[in-house]
Amino acid sequence: MRDVYAQYWRINLLTTLEYRTNFLLWFGFTIVYHGTAIAALWVMLTTFPSMNGWDFRNMAFLYALWMVAHALNATFFSTVGEIPQWIRDGEFDRLLVRPLDELFQVISTPGAIFPDELLLALAVLVAAVAANHLAVTAGFVVLVALVVTGGALIDLSIALLISTAAFWFVQVDALRWIVLQLEQEFTRYPLSIYSRGVRLLLAFVIPFGFMNYFPASFLLHKTDNGLGLPMAVGVLTPLVGIVFLVVAYAFWRFGLQRYQGVGH
Amino acid sequence: MFAALEPYIQFALKAMAREATYRFEVFTSIGSLAVRVYLLRVVWVALYAHNAAPDGVLLHQIITYSAVALLMGLILDIDQTSLLHDKLHDGSIVVDFMKPISVPLYLFADGTGEVLFHGALIVPSLAIALLIVHIDVPSAAVFGAFALSFLLGYLVGFCLNFTLNCIAFWTLEISAVQLMLTWVTDLLGGGIVPLLFFPAGFQQAIASLPFASMYSTPLLIYIGKITPDHYLQAMGLQVFWIAVLGVIATIIWRAGARRVVVQGG
Repeated sequence: MRDVYAQYWRINLLTTLEYRTNFLLWFGFTIVYHGTAIAALWVMLTTFPSMNGWDFRNMAFLYALWMVAHALNATFFSTVGEIPQWIRDGEFDRLLVRPLDELFQVISTPGAIFPDELLLALAVLVAAVAANHLAVTAGFVVLVALVVTGGALIDLSIALLISTAAFWFVQVDALRWIVLQLEQEFTRYPLSIYSRGVRLLLAFVIPFGFMNYFPASFLLHKTDNGLGLPMAVGVLTPLVGIVFLVVAYAFWRFGLQRYQGVGH
Repeated sequence: MFAALEPYIQFALKAMAREATYRFEVFTSIGSLAVRVYLLRVVWVALYAHNAAPDGVLLHQIITYSAVALLMGLILDIDQTSLLHDKLHDGSIVVDFMKPISVPLYLFADGTGEVLFHGALIVPSLAIALLIVHIDVPSAAVFGAFALSFLLGYLVGFCLNFTLNCIAFWTLEISAVQLMLTWVTDLLGGGIVPLLFFPAGFQQAIASLPFASMYSTPLLIYIGKITPDHYLQAMGLQVFWIAVLGVIATIIWRAGARRVVVQGG
């Protein structure tokens, strides 16, 4: 299985190198996307002193934690989001007859991904940690690594849940789109600004709050996390990620067993 | 005169019918707008909780500003000339050049039809937005000035998109650049945060770019930050940008159209 995965990255890299102009273009694209998002936060927080006690530096750290987790998922597991398309085209049925786990086959399909977003995300994280004068101890590094890994698992689990829905509903683009928007825009601000229902939703139903807000509150030594939970819930992100992935994988197996093709 | 325009009216109608078939996109664009309206409300309320009114912009004004900006985005975020890009990709532009029509006018008519259809979405979107926030309604005269300024801003956007799509004559692939332009326009045009809130140095730099003509000028007229005695100056600048970008678009179009034979399709 490891050899398959190594081959996958080799092909991935070769494909990317073949389209160098496109690669440069998409790198520019990644920079402009995150650049404009961070710039908008910066403008807001030069005019206003803070948002519920979070200044621009804090918000940049919040953004960076989400960005690294999201980029990790996008770099290593991007093909999970393509499952609905494969199901529609009948491509997916091919995976069913091979002697390897279906999800592993999905993940190891080359998607011409270059880790540009991940590199950029790590740079933003380093800058945000420096700007907040956080003490970078070995414990801090391990905790942040665990948090972003857990965050990536949350991101992956959501993608897997949506893709699994495609076994029943062939069109899941609308669902994906709405969840993606919730993720991108609602993780940008402190959870405490939302109404209670939205806070609960983002903490326990679609746990985006664990991708960045709860861990960031803990790491920045904030005293409130909008739901009156102990601040230490911020370190639970890896656990939430694993639990959520187990749930998503179980749902995936369940869907897979009932899947009968879309009639090609 | 009218007979000469007839084909272009038909092109516009056809584009509207085509857009109406994407029901899924209609659903998501309205749903996503509702989410954004909620978001703008909580964000500005949280920011204003600790600061009265920067630059004299009150909370209800900023909420009106942002909500109207989102509704304008339904129209301004559309790339009206993406047809050109598609036609360059599959080579069918060659056939259009053989037809007895003006190709740029054809693209303008098609884009306008697309825009009119999405413009109609403003009605249900506005209804949903009003459930979430209060939007100030200005006097009829101010609203008229806003509408005129919005139209000018739309033309600025058309010229920008058209120029960009003409670049596809050379590069074929421009979708990444297209999206980047949308984000830059949203930010530097004042569609996300009013340009008044940018630091002074940035405001001057941004003032020398065309983006403010698309969002900021009509929106500041709407909330009364541009007063009637400054209308002429503000809209004059918009007309200036239409002229400049129009000339650039024409030059690039002419150069690109000559290349079509070489490209081969």
